[in-house]
Amino acid sequence: MDTAMRNHRLSNVYYNMGLAKAQERDLTGAVEVLKMSLRFNKYQTDARNLLGLIYHEIGEVGAALAQWIISLNLQEKNNLAEEYLQILQNESGYLDMADQAAKKYNQSLSYAHGENADLAILLLMRMVEEMPNYLKAQQLLALLYIQNEDYTKAGRCLYQALKIDHYNPLAQRYMTVVKQNTGRAEVERRKLKNAFSHRQMQDDDIILPPTYKENTGWQSILNILAGLILGVVVVFFLVTPTVRDSVVSKYEGEIRQNLELVNQKSLQIDQLERQMEEASAAQEEAENSLADMVSSSGGVISQYQHLVQILQAYRAEDMRTAVQLYLDTDFTVLNDGVLNDIAAWVQQDMAANGFPVLEQMGDEAIAQSDAAQAIDYYQKSLTINPNNIGVIYKIGLAYKGTGNTDEANQYFGDIIMNHPESEYAAQAKEQRGY
Amino acid sequence: MLNFEEELKRFRPSLEIGNVEDAISKEDLTDMTDLMTELLKEKKS
Repeated sequence: MDTAMRNHRLSNVYYNMGLAKAQERDLTGAVEVLKMSLRFNKYQTDARNLLGLIYHEIGEVGAALAQWIISLNLQEKNNLAEEYLQILQNESGYLDMADQAAKKYNQSLSYAHGENADLAILLLMRMVEEMPNYLKAQQLLALLYIQNEDYTKAGRCLYQALKIDHYNPLAQRYMTVVKQNTGRAEVERRKLKNAFSHRQMQDDDIILPPTYKENTGWQSILNILAGLILGVVVVFFLVTPTVRDSVVSKYEGEIRQNLELVNQKSLQIDQLERQMEEASAAQEEAENSLADMVSSSGGVISQYQHLVQILQAYRAEDMRTAVQLYLDTDFTVLNDGVLNDIAAWVQQDMAANGFPVLEQMGDEAIAQSDAAQAIDYYQKSLTINPNNIGVIYKIGLAYKGTGNTDEANQYFGDIIMNHPESEYAAQAKEQRGY
Repeated sequence: MLNFEEELKRFRPSLEIGNVEDAISKEDLTDMTDLMTELLKEKKS
């Protein structure tokens, strides 16, 4: 029971995480944790409906329908899924459009695999115009554009994708590649170029008349070399740090945000790992206690099975079977309150009526010259009623009949010493011989 | 840089509306409670 409650609780935790992620538009992350929620409790209707909603949002209408239909099957009443399905059905032509989009996407994927990238691009271009929120289509189109080195168009597709799913890992990764290969690099190159092209005139600058020239060739070469060296030094000490600082400051905010997100995720992961450990421990505890209950030799369930068989023997008026089963039953474990009264009644009845049955069975065995069996029945009779002197005497006789005088004398001795007033004392003395 | 062929492998086909019924029938709805119940049954038998 505890484990089921823990599963429900874990499911709810994952659902809450999924909801938070969906609200932040981390749709990829939300899908993962909502699936986990349903793994712990498939009846977590809110998680399933939200999963469907996210699928719908990213253009996977088929997957959304599947989740809402399953949701309705698992919970027929008070279910938002019914409303969602109704809305889709009432929107004229929407399901057809979504179906066509899925078919076109699958066809494009097939073209892309078959090295018909151009056809794939054409098909995807038209499709994302109709369904710009179709995330996978935007991603595939971006990939195809990147393959064609058309980075600007790829960037537009990825921008759309990240509008839908802010933290989509694939889109972010492709966007990094796009940024590395477009405009941004151009801007940097331009900045470097401008560092050399502009210089303000100072007061002590001399304007050389055009007729003045440096005439020696070697000096020209030296001047060029000096200029190059000076240029490298200027770039190293002045331009590069400025560029680096501007890049760092630009991305600092983003880096800080990402670090916070990573930290948050780490905390969430730690929490989930702790909960998983608790769930595993609870599961192990449940398995252990179940193993105890069903273990073949002394398990509780097998004792209850014996009790049922005893009652069946009573019903069939088969006292012999009942009493033998009674001897094999451990009544000390039948104490959980469910069948206490019945167990107590059986014990009382056996104490009164069980031992004579065993004595009778022992007598019958003696009549069939089966002394060993008779001794066994007599011993069992004594376990129920240890003070049955007649049975003690009969055991002694049985042992004597098999030639086991020592054992026989022990039982005769027991009667003589402990029950000297009984009717069997004199007979025991006689049998023992002293 | 991106390896196009490797990246393409990440893309899976979308579920078309006509295949929704089939997808639902194949959906694995086993949850942790079902697994626990199965485990207990196996132990009893």
